[in-house]
Amino acid sequence: MTMRALTRQEIETLERQGCSAEAWGTVRVTDGFDPLRVRHTMFAGTVDIGRLDGTFPDAGDGVRRVPGIRDARLQDVRVGDGCYISGVRGGLVNLDIGAQVLIENVGLVVCVGETTFGNGHEIAVFNEGGGRELRMTDRTSAQIAYLSVMYRDQAELIKQLNHLADRCAAQRKASTASIGEGALIRNVNEIRNVRIGAYARIDGATRLLEGTVDSSKQAPSTVGTGVIAEHFIIQQGVSVTDGALVGASLVGEGSRVGKQFSCENTAMFANCEGFHSEACSWFAGPYSVTHHRSTLMIAACTSFYNAGSGTNQSNHMYKLGPLHQGIMERGSKTGSFSYLLWPSRVGAFTAVMGKHYANFDTSDFPFSYINEEGGKSTLTPGMNFFTVGTLRDGEKWPARDRRKSADKLDQLIFDVLSPYTAQKMIRGSRLLQELGDAAERSAEYVTCRGIQIKRLLLKTCRRYYALALEKYFGDVLVARFEANAGKGLREVLKPAAAGEPGTGEWLDVCGLLCRKSRLDRLVADLTAGRIASQEDLLAAFKVIHAAYREDAWNWCLASYREITGRDLAAEPAEGVKAFLEKWKQASHKLLNMVAGDAQKEFEGATRTGFGIDGNGDADFVAVRGAFETNKFVRKLKDDGNKVDQRFDAVVNRLV
Amino acid sequence: MASTLERIKKVTADLLKVDASKVVESARFVEDLGAESVQSIELVASFEEAFDIEMDEDAALAVKTVGDAVRFIDKVLAGK
Repeated sequence: MTMRALTRQEIETLERQGCSAEAWGTVRVTDGFDPLRVRHTMFAGTVDIGRLDGTFPDAGDGVRRVPGIRDARLQDVRVGDGCYISGVRGGLVNLDIGAQVLIENVGLVVCVGETTFGNGHEIAVFNEGGGRELRMTDRTSAQIAYLSVMYRDQAELIKQLNHLADRCAAQRKASTASIGEGALIRNVNEIRNVRIGAYARIDGATRLLEGTVDSSKQAPSTVGTGVIAEHFIIQQGVSVTDGALVGASLVGEGSRVGKQFSCENTAMFANCEGFHSEACSWFAGPYSVTHHRSTLMIAACTSFYNAGSGTNQSNHMYKLGPLHQGIMERGSKTGSFSYLLWPSRVGAFTAVMGKHYANFDTSDFPFSYINEEGGKSTLTPGMNFFTVGTLRDGEKWPARDRRKSADKLDQLIFDVLSPYTAQKMIRGSRLLQELGDAAERSAEYVTCRGIQIKRLLLKTCRRYYALALEKYFGDVLVARFEANAGKGLREVLKPAAAGEPGTGEWLDVCGLLCRKSRLDRLVADLTAGRIASQEDLLAAFKVIHAAYREDAWNWCLASYREITGRDLAAEPAEGVKAFLEKWKQASHKLLNMVAGDAQKEFEGATRTGFGIDGNGDADFVAVRGAFETNKFVRKLKDDGNKVDQRFDAVVNRLV
Repeated sequence: MASTLERIKKVTADLLKVDASKVVESARFVEDLGAESVQSIELVASFEEAFDIEMDEDAALAVKTVGDAVRFIDKVLAGK
């Protein structure tokens, strides 16, 4: 904006309309400024005002407004074109207000002294006792946080990560707070030292101190009624509403928080949800969800996680303080009123039911049930592989990605079956074999890493893993054919040139599945100072993300060779067909087992309580529908048909 | 040697901790004998061990009653 001083006539008009200034000489305006649009306003310090003509866009409440400034006190403020400012009881101080911003019926919106707007603030995530502090910024991704929180033994790496966070914070440092274009701030008591992004909607918040509400036209953020937030980062496309308390926390892209949820020292990444519950030092990886009152998430690391009502953990043994922590790997769930005594580590896609006082590690047994039997923690490996819930989860996550920004921070791989879970099933199968070989036939249970497994189930659970692996290897092969349409057999089956070779380890870097070797190289680059900014680090994770499919293919080739002794890449057409037959069989078997699990929702005890005065079955069908016509069940049938179609399409290419 | 039904009765009564007299051919494992989901797969594993057989997972899902189990296991034994 090109600014000019007020004319004598404009000053007289302003004064006639109840305006005053410490010094009119420091109030500047743009050409086209209409003094009739400013009433009962006090100016102090340097104030720049843009054009206030035209009409104001609909703020969604049906009230017609025209741009202008009324009943306000502005001190050292720049006001962009077309703003509507009305009813500022305290003042607007040290602000850079973008175009078409609405500020109405507010107390204080101020910036006092220099601030980084929550950037660089350290939060004691994952371990409440400290030692894993995350220096958060508005560019902190799940992967950056993972390295910062989990790799504490690498002092130089942590130093570099903190340096990058500090650089970002330094770039944000200012003594003026910006309010981005198109933002709406209404009915707010106090906003102090908060940067507000474009098109953010702050409506009814109680107090916001020292933070960032990142927002954009594509991915606007909302802060709603009764919210109190201090030392916080709210990333793009976030909704924080209805009495939420956010203290020293990061709320990641597309997340939703509200209904009196409270969190402190918590980092929630992409598409998390927090309602009613309490969170303390929760490292909530992408898609971590808690919806119920009485749930406490404490000192837990989760991702793709769902907390049942009354879920609880303990991180304190009343000895040296709240030092314990626990990991629930991706896809885990905790049932109603489940309890875990940290430290423990729960394997991927595992359902935890009951109360657990043992400290166990089931990380090599994905897709399991953890139950409490008479006070004892028991594990049923692989049982959660063929449940309705696991299949539905795998489909719903990508469909529920609320992130609208083109520049997404978190890099996510949604696959339920992946080299990450497959490598664990391979290890788990070996462990089950060893446990079975060593167990006495008279033993009811065997113990493995702090948890008990029914001896009888060792063989059965190994079969579950074998089924899952057959399904996974086939899925990858079929997808490889489909991604290489028109190519011949040898071309399709050859190792990916750009992929990492061999059967090396895979990691889940807070939602990003990747070869450990790739992360090791990135860590080396970081440690050596070869990554200059958080933006460069975000870009490096994007490269790793892009390599997933190729790396997974190479891993499958190498693992298949290791397990079976056969080289799939050199397999003749007949061998590939036999391999695909096994995949088809495993896929149908899985679908049948899932259908069997779904059927339980339609029979026996699930009908209890239907038909309060008789006609139980009719009432059940009226409310819940019939098994055969259920949407999910029909989809399973469709999935079965698709398996056959995909099988036929690939086999036809082998001829 | 005890009949398939008698052996199934013993395995089921031991595992589900129910009176063997309740384990009759018409008894449903879930509704009548109280088998929970994990116990259902334990039953399959117990039958496998008791009869030295392997039961196909999805086919075993169709086994709802004690009588179903007798027929299923007899068929598997006949095919051995």
